[in-house]
Amino acid sequence: MSYTLIVAEVRRGVFEERNLDSLGLGALLGAQSVLLVPDGAYQVPDKLVDVVLKVKAAEEAYLNPMNMGKILEAVFAARGKPDHVLFTQSSSGTESAAYAAGLFGMPVITDVSGYDRDAGVFLKSYYSDKVFGQFKAAGAPAVLTVRSGSFREFAAEKAAAAAAEAIEGAAAVEARTFVEYVEEEKTDIDITKAEFLLSVGRGIGNQDEVAGYEELAGALKAVLSGSRPVIDKMWLPKARQVGTSGKTVKPKVYLAMGISGAFQHIAGMKDSDCIIAVNKDPGAPIFQYAHYGIIGDIHKVRDKLKELAKG
Amino acid sequence: MVEQAATRVLTCIQCGKCTGSCPESGRTPFNVRMLVRKKQFQTAVDEALPWYCTSCGACTIRCPRDVKPSEVIIELRSKLVEDGDIPVALQKALENTFVQKNPWGRSRNKRADWLEKLDFEVPHVSETESKRLLFVCCIQAYDPRCMVIPVNVARLFKAGGLEFGVLGEEEACCGNEIRRIGEAGLFEELEEENKAAFEEYGVKEIVALSPHCMNALKKEYGDTGIKVVHYTELLAPLVEEGAIRLPGSFGKKVIYHDPCFLGKQNGVFDEPRSILSAVPGLTLLEFSRSREVSLCCEGGGGRMFFEVEATYQRNAEVRVLDAVDKGAEVIATACPFCVMTLEDPATEKGLAVKELSEILTEVL
Amino acid sequence: MNILVFTKRVAATQEEELRITGEGQAVDLSKVPFKVNDWDNYSVEEAVRIVDKAGGSVTAISIGDAESDEVLRRAIAMGAKDGFLVETGEALHDPFTRGELIRGFIDKEKVPFDIILTGVQSEDDQFGAVGGVLAGLMGLPYASMVIGIDAVETDHVVIRRELEGGLQEKVKVATPCVLSIQSGINEPRYVSIMGIRKASKVERKVFKADGYEKGSPKIELVKWVYPEKKGGATMLDGELADVCGQLLGILKEKGVYQ
Repeated sequence: MSYTLIVAEVRRGVFEERNLDSLGLGALLGAQSVLLVPDGAYQVPDKLVDVVLKVKAAEEAYLNPMNMGKILEAVFAARGKPDHVLFTQSSSGTESAAYAAGLFGMPVITDVSGYDRDAGVFLKSYYSDKVFGQFKAAGAPAVLTVRSGSFREFAAEKAAAAAAEAIEGAAAVEARTFVEYVEEEKTDIDITKAEFLLSVGRGIGNQDEVAGYEELAGALKAVLSGSRPVIDKMWLPKARQVGTSGKTVKPKVYLAMGISGAFQHIAGMKDSDCIIAVNKDPGAPIFQYAHYGIIGDIHKVRDKLKELAKG
Repeated sequence: MVEQAATRVLTCIQCGKCTGSCPESGRTPFNVRMLVRKKQFQTAVDEALPWYCTSCGACTIRCPRDVKPSEVIIELRSKLVEDGDIPVALQKALENTFVQKNPWGRSRNKRADWLEKLDFEVPHVSETESKRLLFVCCIQAYDPRCMVIPVNVARLFKAGGLEFGVLGEEEACCGNEIRRIGEAGLFEELEEENKAAFEEYGVKEIVALSPHCMNALKKEYGDTGIKVVHYTELLAPLVEEGAIRLPGSFGKKVIYHDPCFLGKQNGVFDEPRSILSAVPGLTLLEFSRSREVSLCCEGGGGRMFFEVEATYQRNAEVRVLDAVDKGAEVIATACPFCVMTLEDPATEKGLAVKELSEILTEVL
Repeated sequence: MNILVFTKRVAATQEEELRITGEGQAVDLSKVPFKVNDWDNYSVEEAVRIVDKAGGSVTAISIGDAESDEVLRRAIAMGAKDGFLVETGEALHDPFTRGELIRGFIDKEKVPFDIILTGVQSEDDQFGAVGGVLAGLMGLPYASMVIGIDAVETDHVVIRRELEGGLQEKVKVATPCVLSIQSGINEPRYVSIMGIRKASKVERKVFKADGYEKGSPKIELVKWVYPEKKGGATMLDGELADVCGQLLGILKEKGVYQ
């Protein structure tokens, strides 16, 4: 029986949310969907798949691409080869996907963000989403890594909970071993590493207002940065400066408040995944680069956001 | 630490005129006399120091022994460039210039986009009679604030019946800042590329919009046999003689800021002033420090592309405060870098910063 | 310690609006400048730093057309001892094919190595798969998203991998191995034009790619398409509370705010 093997990404006891995109693509592919998870108390959405296949393996071993090779071998032996093997597009998902492709001679398409069922082609980004390639796999099983946020709406609830299956894991390989997790040092804030930047500009008016934006950043769990005028006035430290004369940043979200969008500034942030601009001037150049815009008093927006975030 | 070799610096008598004239000394850790001294004794210097220099040239002009301290700084920087050990922001500017021929890394294919803002066609320089080239260069080609400068100057030239052409996407960065950052190899590549284009199209005269470009094209491209001028030098007689009529009025108190590369380094002081004086209604004011001793805005020598470590009151702010003191409403200048550095503090104090061509276009 | 590091010459498309030609057959790159792949720049720097400490030599390898010699000269200017060009005029989209070609080259030319470094991905195709495929094909230990190399010993390395949300994982990997290097692992040195000119004096070896075994591609590029158009900023309108509510909604959707 043909099936889609969905290799779940788990980390430190958590079933990662981006797995939902793999489940969504699994649903689109139409075959029986089999979710592979390691032993453990994970919150598995067992109504979104047909089979939950538990493998006896410790989490760290399961996330090791070389062990994953052994596990896949065991799955293929027990259930036959699937049509597709889906991984998440993530640090560990992509690592294991590519390694498995090489090991078993499987075609691999990474960062899949679309699927055309009629044509049987997968959409894959090129040149930072400027164009996309439509790819077809010449042979099965094909390995795919699934872009987060692309397919989760297709994950459909089934009438019954998934059937439970289990397989024995393989002995952990010694060629690569997990040592420990390391939290990134947070002593000196590096705005280039932040996923969410709240950036303030000249529009904040005076130094006394900075504290209010620090509070907002705290409430939203964002890192506070600024444009050149704010840094020049020493309202924020130099390490927080975004722009060609400061740092170039590419966060997931760049929330710009009171920044008109001088060219030097834009060059330092325009590649952010999502740019939201708040400015009182509808003609501010930053709106040309923003994905979302709010025209209004930034202090009022700040205070309302703080209120909503707390409530 | 940068290792040093002694050269011309041996003639230095450590009189300190260089440091005395330096816009960075006293306010930042930068001391040019001391760097020359260390070079004499070939001792290593802190590698953060050479990057403070704004290449304003005041030290070289004031030096009684022709030590050329500003060139000593470039030599120091060159060593750091060759070692690959330079501030990241400058590294990006150089790599961008290598790939896209402009320090911001904007697409070379968009270098002529400013032409779309004109309601008339500008020919390629090869198609002109005069073979007069308007050399646009990077900041005017890409920065939305400065893109108005070539647009304005083109309109003024047209009004004055002055024929000119452009190179469009074939133009490369002039390399003035690149040489001052210490990347001699990259400067040579840019120079060769531009010179090949000048030669291919038979360019006879180059009109530079930025004093920085004029400086490189005129003094650092070797003997090309091509006349190089700043656009104000061409406009001044046209405005004076009435060939460009200025029917409007600009009833404001305007103070003129001498750009270092136009004024003290290339001796163009009078043309911008005579243009401003010809504008009806305009009252021309002077800074306390003007002409040869004009205070540098700190936009040169690579400082447009990166921030130095020290925080201090910027010269641009000092300049704006002086302008306020003199009762000015508008600061006029003739350099895009000066416009960029002066505008922030000026806006704060309620002053406008205008490039000369902007004032002229308003009264055209 | 012999390190092989792969470096690729890629189109610098960040500032360009790309045009698809014909019925989606190709992307027009005729007016686009080229540069070294950013991730490979970090990899070469890391390779040079490893041998600076542990001894040995770095060999830079590029797969591509004759123009790719440019990135080899750059690698040599950074400190690589040799530069090998595996020359092919073909655009090899399939990471599997690339992996096979590399294995074929290393096997046939008997290129000695202890560590193979690749960038995590290349800026153009962003497959991020060649290192993994190669390791799988060669049966070598593998780690990707390498953001730190903490120890280089005779039979293993200790590295840190970048995971999501500021978390890293420390991993011990036996050598010989393949490591894919993440950007930000180091601060690559500036390579001056003078440095590149000097490096040009070091001879680079050219190998023809068709001399090495590789199977037929396992994936097929059917056509190129444009992404769905997003036209300018979506303006959020309404009462203040409503607008702020929408904004928080966007933050949640983007996964930066719970």
